[in-house]
Amino acid sequence: MAKPATNRMRARLAIMMGIIVFICSGIIIGRLFFLQIVDSGGYQEKALNQQLKSVSISAQRGSILDRNGNILAQSATAWNVFVAPAEIPENDYENTVNTIADGLSEILGVDRETIVKRCQNTASYYETISRKIEKDVADQITEFITETGVKGIHLETDTKRYYPYGSLASTVLGFTGSDNSGAYGLESYYNSVLSGTPGKVVSITDGKSGEMPFSYRKMYDAEDGNSLVLTIDTYMQQVLEKYMNQIVEQFNVQNRCAGIIMNPQTGEIYAMSTKPDFDPNDPQALGDSREVEKLESLEGEDYTATLQEAQFTQWRNKAISDPYEPGSVFKIITVSSALDSKAVSIDDTFNCAGSINVSGTVFHCWRSYNPHGVQTLTETLINSCNPAYVQIGQRLGGESFYRYAESYGLTTGQTTGIDLPGEATSVFLSEEALTRPGMVELGSASFGQSNKVTPIQMITAVSAAVNGGNLMVPYVVQQVVDSDGNIVSTTEPTKVRQVISEETSALVAEMCEQMVSVGGRNYAYIPGYRVGGKTGTSEKLDSDDDSKKVASFVGFAPADDPQIICLIVTDEPDVASPAGGTHAAPYVKAVLEELLPYIGLQPQYTADELALLDVTVPSVVNQSVVDAKGSLSIKSLDYTVIGDGDTVVRQVPAGGQKAPRGTKVLLYTEESGEEETLTTVPDVTNLTPQEVSRVLKAAGLNVKFSGVLSDGGDYVSVRQSVTADTQVERGTVVTVDFVNNLTNER
Amino acid sequence: MTRGRTAARATEKTRTIKKLSAPPAAANSVKTRRGGFDITFLVLVLILVVVGLVMLFSASYATSYDRYDGNSFYYISNQAKNAVLGIIAMLLIMQIDYHFYHKVAWLAYAGSLVLLVLVLVLPSSNPNAARWIDLGFVSFQPSEVMKFALVILFAHHVSLHYKEMKRFKEGLLFFGVVLAPVVVLMLLQPHLSGTVLIMAISAVMMFVGGTDWRWFAGAIIVAALIVAAVIFVPGLSSYAGSRFEIWLDPFSDPTDKGFQTIQSLYAISSGGLMGVGFGASRQKYLWLPESQNDFIFSIICEELGFVGAVLVVLLFALLVWRGFVIAARAKDRFGTMLAVGLTAQVGIQTFLNIAVVTNTVPNTGISLPFFSFGGTSLIMLLASMGVILSVSRNANLEKE
Repeated sequence: MAKPATNRMRARLAIMMGIIVFICSGIIIGRLFFLQIVDSGGYQEKALNQQLKSVSISAQRGSILDRNGNILAQSATAWNVFVAPAEIPENDYENTVNTIADGLSEILGVDRETIVKRCQNTASYYETISRKIEKDVADQITEFITETGVKGIHLETDTKRYYPYGSLASTVLGFTGSDNSGAYGLESYYNSVLSGTPGKVVSITDGKSGEMPFSYRKMYDAEDGNSLVLTIDTYMQQVLEKYMNQIVEQFNVQNRCAGIIMNPQTGEIYAMSTKPDFDPNDPQALGDSREVEKLESLEGEDYTATLQEAQFTQWRNKAISDPYEPGSVFKIITVSSALDSKAVSIDDTFNCAGSINVSGTVFHCWRSYNPHGVQTLTETLINSCNPAYVQIGQRLGGESFYRYAESYGLTTGQTTGIDLPGEATSVFLSEEALTRPGMVELGSASFGQSNKVTPIQMITAVSAAVNGGNLMVPYVVQQVVDSDGNIVSTTEPTKVRQVISEETSALVAEMCEQMVSVGGRNYAYIPGYRVGGKTGTSEKLDSDDDSKKVASFVGFAPADDPQIICLIVTDEPDVASPAGGTHAAPYVKAVLEELLPYIGLQPQYTADELALLDVTVPSVVNQSVVDAKGSLSIKSLDYTVIGDGDTVVRQVPAGGQKAPRGTKVLLYTEESGEEETLTTVPDVTNLTPQEVSRVLKAAGLNVKFSGVLSDGGDYVSVRQSVTADTQVERGTVVTVDFVNNLTNER
Repeated sequence: MTRGRTAARATEKTRTIKKLSAPPAAANSVKTRRGGFDITFLVLVLILVVVGLVMLFSASYATSYDRYDGNSFYYISNQAKNAVLGIIAMLLIMQIDYHFYHKVAWLAYAGSLVLLVLVLVLPSSNPNAARWIDLGFVSFQPSEVMKFALVILFAHHVSLHYKEMKRFKEGLLFFGVVLAPVVVLMLLQPHLSGTVLIMAISAVMMFVGGTDWRWFAGAIIVAALIVAAVIFVPGLSSYAGSRFEIWLDPFSDPTDKGFQTIQSLYAISSGGLMGVGFGASRQKYLWLPESQNDFIFSIICEELGFVGAVLVVLLFALLVWRGFVIAARAKDRFGTMLAVGLTAQVGIQTFLNIAVVTNTVPNTGISLPFFSFGGTSLIMLLASMGVILSVSRNANLEKE
């Protein structure tokens, strides 16, 4: 008989069931609780770390546009080439590496050995061969890979920054580094605005580091950067840079030249430049040929150090980063302060005895050999007479002097607040020093010789002095625009404070106009326009060499309602006697002459000016010689007929050009070769008007005198419109600027 | 003493012969419902098969895609086929009177031993372990067959010698002698986890069968001492093998020997309370090796979370409970012991598998019943479930 389980068996069964059902399950559930709920090992996070792969999608960097929408900086797709040596099949290593090295070195122009070396790191998946190559090169590489079927070469997209105008405004724009973030200038200051937010693709990878077709993938779109619309005007910038380049070349400027054009009413910067500068498309390359020459003779550490120094120098925006001694330009500040505080009146007179003794310190006038004598307040500015300004400063008093300077934003530690990186603060005498008994410090400060301000501070302060008294915050960025073209923000002109009264400002502007127009009609006199300005020639306080000077000029127009102001600071022109009137003023004048019509200001000539005005050369080509002579005579133009023909085939100057009355127009009646029609422009600087006339005539050229009046002044030529040694057609009009030595402060 | 024992044995033998020749359980009780089987157990088995198939599909398709040329359904289609075959086998075996196994107990054992020898002799596809015999149309592990044979043989032995089980000879020596060649042959494969499983099943059967408890107490103490020594005596763990080192600190070799354990822990922990969602495991994407096989439970933990994992554990616990209930209610001791052995097999194997994937015990290859992919083992598992159901058919249901 089969017997069922005994009680003992059942008891043991129950025990066994208890062990398996309760104890074993309990252990497992407890263990699961610790792993899944407590997760003391942090395995959840570790698991995610291993599974998630995040690839970032770079955001398109915003563009930089000028005020008219011209593109100054723009990003475009570029490609990086890299090899993954780990993917090179081991059994065919030699062959593959040879194929890679041959192909890439040919396409990219990279040294073959370098590529072979990179491939030797066989554990690596990423060895960069070349960065930021253009699309056509990338296409060649893709083709090469397809054709040869070689493994291990990869392309990845990157972005490259393009600056279509090359070096234009480079110290303002700055440039981006290899990581595509801004390194200097606006690119750096507005980096976060321009760069946008990179997106990313988060995907779950499988254990073989591939993405399975049904695995998880999530994309976060990149948010493209915003674009900047600048107050800079490309044309104005080009004009400013053209003349600044001339300054640097002609006077072999040792310490760079800075220039700013701005709207004195609003603080908008129209143009800003430092020369020599660089091309942001290749910021490492030196823009100054003198530095390149210097490097050629160097090797090793010297080479590296010199190169680096030259690079840092060329990247520096001198217009905002380097304080300089403003010299006589500062007299505008002194005289406006004195007038505004009623310490002096416009009718007061000041005596110049060639020098003035202040508590034992003698300050000389630049024309101590021929003292100015008794001068009106306006004349003190025109004459730029230091002893007069020592007196004006004394009347104003140290405390007021300091208060006004502070109000103008020039005292120690102040900046204008322009939206550019690296703005330096001014270095100014303390109130304590200025109020010291004896007033020696106040004396030199009054004519601008003991303080250092940046060019941007100076032009902003002068703007305040002549625009009705308003100190404005200068700015470069007018608008921030998002990638869809919506305006994100607009910069409104910001007035810091009223520094002087409107009346005082009007007086100062008028004095400055007199300085330009009456004081010998040199510097920056432009017929038809009311230009105001002030020269500055200063010794460098930090330099032992007295011959090292800073020549500067600030000019604005129209004097009764300034719309444009330009400052050029030439730091250490390598010439015998540097002077603002010679090494800055004619160039500011040239700039204004081109830009005043550009900004829509029509010339309004006085009767005197009309008489002296240039005439438009009529076109007489295809006319008979007789008719041509008649047309020219009506316009008070002279002529010379060349050749034996009856009809004019060519004329120089061409029809439509402006030329002074009496210009000799060459009329060709038959075609002639270059040898007969071309001539070399002679150097006509540092000459008297008579000499200039003679030399140019001898070269077959016409001359236009600029800044010369028949007042018997001691005039000397300082600038010629066509550079010496260039080949031009005979008959071309060369404009020559003159300054009056009697009023040109040295 | 000697005389008495011999006499007792003689009586037992006579009685057994009588019992075997008697018509099975015919006149036992009017209350026995012949033909009625334990519906609860059957339902639990079917639930486990279905849940197992669903989870296998989720856990295996990525690996399948990778290994079988983009075919995500390789594992699931094979397993589903075998599940159908297994269920058919279960339903057929259910109908067989389990007393039939009395007759084949020794034959099954002897046959399994031959297979265990053959697996060592025949050329193997796996150079490190010879576990499978491939007949071309089907391949199977002789150790699985041996497990079944041993349960039958031990049930047979206990039902014959229940009274003498307290003695050394019937309660221990018999088991030792039967197991010795099995253990040797299996360790030669080597197949440590299978050996451990067989010994554990044997121990359960001995315990329930009536072997003196002192033997167990002694065995437990010795085992505990060995484990303690391995864990606490410095240097001994490395001597005991890297398996133990990795068990204690899987991060000591994270890319090689500890890799699977670490990936398993990552999967389990990633599940949290509610899981990442059915089908949403990330670890199954080739991170966790054998996610379709021994480590499928980790994927269950990841996808269904603590809640889902506990539910699966409870399903197994219910199955074991029901299996033991069937054992307790079996009409005779042979049935009791068959149900105990086969239920214990499922319970212990489940426990060991989950203990391995949670790194509660050192890593050793052991699959999860009903869930892990493994051709013939699912069929054999379902066949043994059929045997339990067959026992339940003859149970005295009115007794409790």
